[in-house]
Amino acid sequence: MNRNLWKSTIRVLKWVFLLFFFAVALLPLLWLLVTSFKTEAEFTKFPLQLPHLWQIQNYIDAVHIAKMHILFINSIIIASSATIFNLLITSMAAFAISREEFRLKNSISNILVAGVLVPIVAFMVPYLALIKNLGLYNTRMALVITYAAINIPISFFLIRSFMTSIPKELEEAAIMDGCSFPQRYTKIILPLSRAGLVTSGTLTFIWAWNEFIYALLLTSSSRVRTIQLGISFFSTQFRSNYPAMYAAIVLTMIPSILVYVFFHDKIISGLTAGAVKG
Amino acid sequence: MNKKTSNARWILLFLLPIVLLYTAFFIYPFGFVFFSSLNKWNGISHMKFVGLQNYVNLAMSTTFQLSIRNNIIWALSLGFLQVGFASVIAFILARKPRFWKGLRTVYFIPKVISGVAIAMLWKAVYNAEFGALNAILTFLTGHTWNVNWLGEFNSALPAIIAQEVMYIGYFMIIILAGVMAIPRSYYEAAEIDGASVLQQELHITLPVVWGTIVTSMTLAMAYGLRHFEATFLMTGGGPGHSTSTLAIMMYNKIGARKLGQASALGTVLVIIGFIVIVTLNSTLGRKSLTGEDT
Repeated sequence: MNRNLWKSTIRVLKWVFLLFFFAVALLPLLWLLVTSFKTEAEFTKFPLQLPHLWQIQNYIDAVHIAKMHILFINSIIIASSATIFNLLITSMAAFAISREEFRLKNSISNILVAGVLVPIVAFMVPYLALIKNLGLYNTRMALVITYAAINIPISFFLIRSFMTSIPKELEEAAIMDGCSFPQRYTKIILPLSRAGLVTSGTLTFIWAWNEFIYALLLTSSSRVRTIQLGISFFSTQFRSNYPAMYAAIVLTMIPSILVYVFFHDKIISGLTAGAVKG
Repeated sequence: MNKKTSNARWILLFLLPIVLLYTAFFIYPFGFVFFSSLNKWNGISHMKFVGLQNYVNLAMSTTFQLSIRNNIIWALSLGFLQVGFASVIAFILARKPRFWKGLRTVYFIPKVISGVAIAMLWKAVYNAEFGALNAILTFLTGHTWNVNWLGEFNSALPAIIAQEVMYIGYFMIIILAGVMAIPRSYYEAAEIDGASVLQQELHITLPVVWGTIVTSMTLAMAYGLRHFEATFLMTGGGPGHSTSTLAIMMYNKIGARKLGQASALGTVLVIIGFIVIVTLNSTLGRKSLTGEDT
């Protein structure tokens, strides 16, 4: 009797816990979504109710006022260039380090991976000075290089562990057939590492898409502004037109959620692999 | 030319880009941030060596003391509360209750959305006039609430920290992976011995994943110490400097063209981060070894 009471208390507590965090994760987002379909008058009078009429005017206003298309194009260019650049240099290095024997290879490898522990935010001054000295301040290129560089440790770690697991025999056969060093990279190891490249590419892309601090620090004009930086200007651009601003925010969330839906497994496996290593 | 030297050249060529970029963005900044912290510098004219003057100025400023205090509160909240909640949820989900996969997916959603969008979302929720939080409280209590959650000295910091602490998705995923890797047979044996669910979690799950939890706590505290984004967007460090952090202060110093002081803050951030990682790994980490023995 007593034991049963204890058991059901635990069960109730368990679900209270699960549902509380479920609500926190989902309800604010839903509230924002619902509000983005309301008129200003509806929103100020009844912040919690459903809209009388689900109208998309806010979305049209949002695109106009915030110039969403420019923000999106900049973010897509920057995040994808940074990802490609990052994958190219990390996969080349991971190939050399995982498939060849040479002095210092373990030290180089360890130093690269140890970069995950570096508090990048502390480097605002050095990065600003570096980018200005390279003459890249306020360009898309500044962010492409910075984002590609910051993601070296995690991408290198993931791709290297993937490449290390590819059997040596596959390559030996290719060497017999006269494959050169770069051919072994492009024709054998790279295609076989596709899953690893997709995982680290997804993580780098999402990171670059979401980055804010260095976009804020290294660019200044609306011409090269990324979507995240754009959001921070919404409050001034939309003044008190909250529903239109919320529509703009919803628009910025859609790509991340789509990527999550499609690459869900890649993201989670990448994160767990990256963290378990600690 | 023989094969070996040609291979060596290729290796060099393949490593060159990463070494250059890594040096520029991970190694050289350590030296630069420390060196410029010893100088008076506005970013344009030449640096002027002033020794430890920037650090002395920092130590005496009340904003710095407030920022340090806030960073410590951040680190403790994320390290203990966020990771604590994440662990409990992970332990529950590992027993695969109904809808566990769906719940796992939902818990993680806020972590794929940008921190900027999330900060703006909560700014809307906390809004004094039209925010959801006041509306809900008004609905529940029957009298009107219009608390300016982000504008009051008492509530601003807890409000920003709370929204971040409750997003447990990231650490939940990491800890869950650890718990799921525990062989079923451990629990079956314990069940035969008559151990309750709580006893099983305390005596089997917790010791086995302790190492993962410590790693998560270390990461969470490191994030707390370098916190910038949500505060910058939600309050900008205000009201007054009551929600300021070291990183916010550093950004403001850059804006004020006091780059030497900004670098001193950067150096402080690097050193504190290093201390946290080393001490947490050596003090809490030892327990994980004894835990794994049982």
